[in-house]
Parts: sequence; structure tokens; C-alpha cells
Amino acid sequence: MKNNKKPVVIFIGQPNCGKSTLFNAIAGLKAETSNFPGTTVKHTHSKVNVEGRILNIIDLPGTYSLNPADPAEKVVLSHVFLEKPDLIINVVDASILGRSLELTVELLEMKYPMIVALNMTDLAEKKGIEIYPEKLAKFLGVPVIPTIATHGRGIKELLDKALMVLDEGLHVSSPSWSKDVEERIEKLTKQLPEDFPVVANKRFTAIKMIEARKLLFNEMLEEMNPSLKKALDEVRMELEKAHNAPEYEVISAERHHLAMKIFEESSKVYRGKRISLEKRLDDALMHPFFGYIVLLIVFLGFFFVIFKIGNPLEEFLLVPLESMRQWLRAEIGSGLFFHLLDGLVQGIGGGVAIVLPFFVPLLFLMSFLEDVGYLARAGYLMDTFMHRLGIHGKSAVPFILGFGCNVPAVVATRILESRRDRIITSLLIPFIPCAARTTIILALIAFYLGPFWALGFYVFNILLVAVLGRIISLFFKTPSPGMILEIPSLKFPSLKSVLRKTYFQLKSFLKFAWPILIIGSIALGLFQSLGFDKTVNLILSPLVEKGLGLPRELGVTLIFGFLRKELSLIMMLQALGTSYNDLMTVVSKGQIIVFTVFISFFIPCLSTFAILWKEVGKAVAFISAALNTGVAIVLSLAARVVLSW
Amino acid sequence: MYVQSVWDDFIAFSSPILIFFSGLIIIKNNVNENNSQFDIQSEKEKMMSLAQAPPDTPLKIVEIFGGHGVRRRLFALGFHKNDLVELDSQGLFRGPILVRNLTSDISVALGRGIAQKIIVEVVDEK
Repeated sequence: MKNNKKPVVIFIGQPNCGKSTLFNAIAGLKAETSNFPGTTVKHTHSKVNVEGRILNIIDLPGTYSLNPADPAEKVVLSHVFLEKPDLIINVVDASILGRSLELTVELLEMKYPMIVALNMTDLAEKKGIEIYPEKLAKFLGVPVIPTIATHGRGIKELLDKALMVLDEGLHVSSPSWSKDVEERIEKLTKQLPEDFPVVANKRFTAIKMIEARKLLFNEMLEEMNPSLKKALDEVRMELEKAHNAPEYEVISAERHHLAMKIFEESSKVYRGKRISLEKRLDDALMHPFFGYIVLLIVFLGFFFVIFKIGNPLEEFLLVPLESMRQWLRAEIGSGLFFHLLDGLVQGIGGGVAIVLPFFVPLLFLMSFLEDVGYLARAGYLMDTFMHRLGIHGKSAVPFILGFGCNVPAVVATRILESRRDRIITSLLIPFIPCAARTTIILALIAFYLGPFWALGFYVFNILLVAVLGRIISLFFKTPSPGMILEIPSLKFPSLKSVLRKTYFQLKSFLKFAWPILIIGSIALGLFQSLGFDKTVNLILSPLVEKGLGLPRELGVTLIFGFLRKELSLIMMLQALGTSYNDLMTVVSKGQIIVFTVFISFFIPCLSTFAILWKEVGKAVAFISAALNTGVAIVLSLAARVVLSW
Repeated sequence: MYVQSVWDDFIAFSSPILIFFSGLIIIKNNVNENNSQFDIQSEKEKMMSLAQAPPDTPLKIVEIFGGHGVRRRLFALGFHKNDLVELDSQGLFRGPILVRNLTSDISVALGRGIAQKIIVEVVDEK
């Protein structure tokens, strides 16, 4: 035991097992939770104080197995070794225990001290599954603690046990498999030289080597240690011959059988309980037509609720902001100081009065749909259409997340197995109107031209994504491998969890975007009083004035739009020197549409650009920027021509 | 008053779409008829791909074809050879299928292409 170092505790579990909820209950407001497979894509570190001891706890993304050939699962695997855990807490969904145990038995192979948190025991009971934790613990050889993370039940016991295991240590032995498979693994284990970079233990290393058929690793091994490579190939061949199946399937089947055996012996299943209200509701939601009607109504309702909450709220909040500006103007005049103060008021007030009224309900509803488990269902329903775009329904997930914010959407493309699907989806995401752009659409188009125009804009936007998807997929020769998406059971989310997630996302807006908004506004005020903005406007005037037919003053707002899209809206008012309610005296309806089209599509915002770079590579990020700018110019020019008829 | 106006807007908004969808229902019904004929034929042969399997009937997975990645993914999600599954729903216009593992009670949405690579047979009801 490392006594002077803080013990490292890792949370691992299959997607959607309630791992993040459990982690949150322990760590506080840190990890985002959801009822959607694969949304915790980043890992979260947190330090917690348990009875006077500081534990370093880490939440890893949900993973079905530790397959080194799958990019997302490889990340988890390498993180486990990077962190060198003192304890693993394996969170298990009790309602699908049989499959969840497949990961558990794989984790046991590493022989790290481990505790199983048997989560969602309430859901398992509802499904008619009775689990005996003592029996389960006996079969697995590690402690099993039943928990209900959403209600905070079992957490104290879990932490007590964790401290106990950390103090006393725990000897974990890997459950053994069929004799012939074990023999062959043993054979390879013996061949591993002493200086071989072993991970966890020799047997685990040997198993992973056998499983990693398609990896670069094999060529490396060929060069560095040809005799070991030969032994490895031999073992693979023998396994394949003896079982008449590829070696990875043999090993997967071993884990499967072991997991099923443990499941059957440690639980009882009472059948016939399943046909419930929930099942009937699900049948309707996934129905080949009613499903689509519900989907449509959900999204229309979504749009309407946000509009109907945001709009009156916005009007209400704008009044004091306006009078404050008038008062400032009257008191200070129009010098440098006024411009700076005015910028400050615009930045703070704009965030509160224009962005938040739409942003908060949008985040709330999005979190709600996600937690209920509806997003995965939407992905299933959307596959029919997405398939025709050359991608599949699983891409609907990042797309739908993209309506909230493009950044997590790009990160969520990790759930797509093929690189091809990832690139296409990543290139399309910046065209999805995120919360910020929805705010612009609502605040400009819906407010001045009416809700039907805004909806029309939305429909057009989605059609555009479809057309672009079609075009982009022409550049790829191989077809998409197709969708495999787990549909989680419907859950009624706790208000606490939805509020927590809304708060979490709102916080990131307040933390990153708002300061930029305020600084941007002040900078623009400074620019204006010093006359710099005129230079920028002059440079951009061929595009802005001649091309798009917009007031020249708007040129500078485009620069800020690159930082954050919603900045353009606030900046627009400031640049034109007008208030929200008087905007129509300065620009025409047509100009509003052209401006919105341009702002919506032109260049992904800075954070999207950065995340594209990080997630899918520099080339894709630049292609995306060029594609967006090109599309924005073409469409806004077209909009101008069409509207001037 | 406010609620009323919201509702009116909402109805005005959704009615054209509902009309569009009722059109789709008619088309889909025709598609369905064709499908069901096909299903009866293949039921006689017992072995078929999951894409052609009859809904709400227990099916046994006989073989999973396809690439290394796809097969591994299916195993990881808890779909193995000899598992009992049931087709719960199908997407519009030969869209994806929704399949549930009867043993583990896990539902997975599969694209058509993948469903065609999974061979199942109808299990005789006892």
C-alpha cells in the first residue's frame, strides 16, 4: 500500500449502469450523468474526503468490455494502467446482471483489489430479478454492495467497504475458464520473457495479446520478438481450430458463459412480470408510425416550450436593461467611458436577458429527454432517414446533442465505431443549430418575423444537413458498417438529476462564454470609441456590404461570432447602436434573414473548432471551417437574391 | 388565455405534419402487406436473417456473420450464438429493427445491414 500517496479509486462500469450517478453522489456536482449509452466520454477526477481520508476518485467512460481493438474501449483500458488503481469500484446494473458481469469477470482478470457496486437493485426487483449479494460475492471473490445511486442508498456501506479494502488489501483471483483454453493461455504466459512490458499480470497480458489480432502491436512483435510472435500465432490457431471460431470469439464466449453461470447461481428470475405499463409505452414510442408522430410532437413541443418560455421572459428582462442604457447615455454622454460602461452593461445584460431565457429551458428539456432514455429511441427512429444520408441512426445521438451544444456533440462521435462515420458526422455537426444559434434564430427571426419563419428556418437547416451529408458521403467509398445501439430501459428521471445536469451545462456557459461575452462587449465598446471597428468593417465591407447587402457596421460582429455565436447577436445591437426593440428601424426583415443565415452557418465557433481539432484531427477541423464558411457565403448570397425578388 | 394561444399555435404548427404522416401510414401499410407474405414463406424454411424474421416470436440466433468489429460489438452487448431473441419493432420503410434478448432483457437497435448478417431460426413454442 502506498501510505503517503492518496489512494486512487477507479469507477468502471458498462454504459448506462448509473456509474456517473453513483460517482456524483460521492463526489458532488462533478460528472454529467445520463440515460444514454456512451455520454460520459471524458473521464472525471475528483478528490473526496471520506472519514478524514482523501481519496482520489476517477470516473471512466462506460465500457462494455476492455477490447483493445475498439478506440473508445482502448482509452478506458489504457487509463486503468495509467492511473494504477489501488481499488476498482465496478458498478453493475443489477437489472441486466448477466451481461454486466461479463465486464466484471474481465476486470477480475487484472487482479486489482475490487468492489462490485450492485446498482439499480430497485429496477431489478421491478423486473422480477432477485439477487443474492452474498452468493454473488462468493462466486466473484470480491465484496458486493447493493446500491440505489439515485436515492443515495448503499453509498455509505460502499465507502466503508472501500476504506476497509484499501487498508487491509484484498487478494483477487481470476476465475478460470475451460481447461483447454486455460492451457493455451498458460502456454503463451510461459513464453513471455522477463523484461516483457506486462500489464496487470502475465495471464491478463497474454489474454489481451491473443485478443488483439488486428492491432499494429502484432507487426511490432514480429520485429522485436519473432519467436514470441510465432508462439502467439500458434495459440491463436489452436484456439480457432479447437472451437471452430475466431480466437476473440472463443475468449468472449468463455467470459459470457462464466458470467451467465454466476448470474444463474446467484439470482432468481420470476418471469411474466415484464408486461407492464412501461413496456406498452415503449411499444408505442418505438412503433413504426406512432413512434414518428411522437418524435415529431416531442420536438415541436420542445421548440414551442422553449419559445413560449423564452420569449415573454426575454421581453420582460429587456425593459430594465434598456432603461439602464438610456440612463447611462443621459448621465455620462458618449465618451470613451460611456462606450466601456455600455459594453459592460450589454455584455452582462445580454447574457441574462437574451441568452439565458432560451438557453436554460433548452438545457433543461434536453437533459430531461436524455435521462428519460428518449434520445436513444430517437436515434433508432431516425436511422431510417439517416441511413439515406450515408450515415446511421447512431449519428443521430451526436446530432441531437448538437442542438444543445456542438462541443459535446463532437466528443460524442466517439460512440461511432468507424472512422468514416465519425468524420462525416463531425463535419455535419457544425451545421446543427446549437442552443446559441437557436437563441439567435429565436431572438431575431421568431421575434421579428414570427414563429413560422423560425420553424421554416429550422426545417431548412435540417434539410441542409441532409443534403450536405449526402454530398460528403460521396467522398467515401466504403459504405457505413451500420448501426448497433443499445436502447436503455425507460426511466423516470429524478428532478434532482435533471436539474443537476442543467446546472452543470449552464455553469460551463457561465464560466467560459459569459466572460468572453462581457470582455467582447467591452472590447467592442473600446473599438468603437477608438474607431478600430471601422477598419475591420472596411476590410470586410466587400463581403458584408456589397455581397450580403448588410450595414457595414456588422462586419466586426462576425469576428466575435467566431468566439461564441451568441456574441454576434449582442454585438449586432451594439454595433448598430440600437436597442433590441428598435432594431427594425435600422435593418429590414430581409437583412435579418441574410444575417442569421450567415451567422448560423459560417465557421464553427472557436470551441467547436478546437474540439474538432482535438477529436478528429487538424485536417477535419480546417475542412470543416472551410466548408462552413463556403456554405454560409453561398447560402446568404442566395438568400439575399431570393428575398430581393 | 395564454395557454389557449400556445395550444392554438401548436395545433396550427403540427396539423400539416400530421396530415403528411397519415399519408405515410397508407404507404407503409402497403409495404407491410408485402413483408408479411415474405415472412410466411421463410417461416417454413425456419432459418432466416433477423431482417426477415417475424415479429414477437421467440427466435434463436444460429450464426452471426460480419466483420471482426461488428461481431465483437454484438458479443459485448450481450448477443451471442444460441441466445433467444425477439423482434420488437421495425422502423419505417425498411429502417432499423429493434431486437430484445429474452434471456438478459437487453434491447438493441440494429441497422438493416447488420440485421441481415444475423441468422436466426424460429423456436417452436412448447
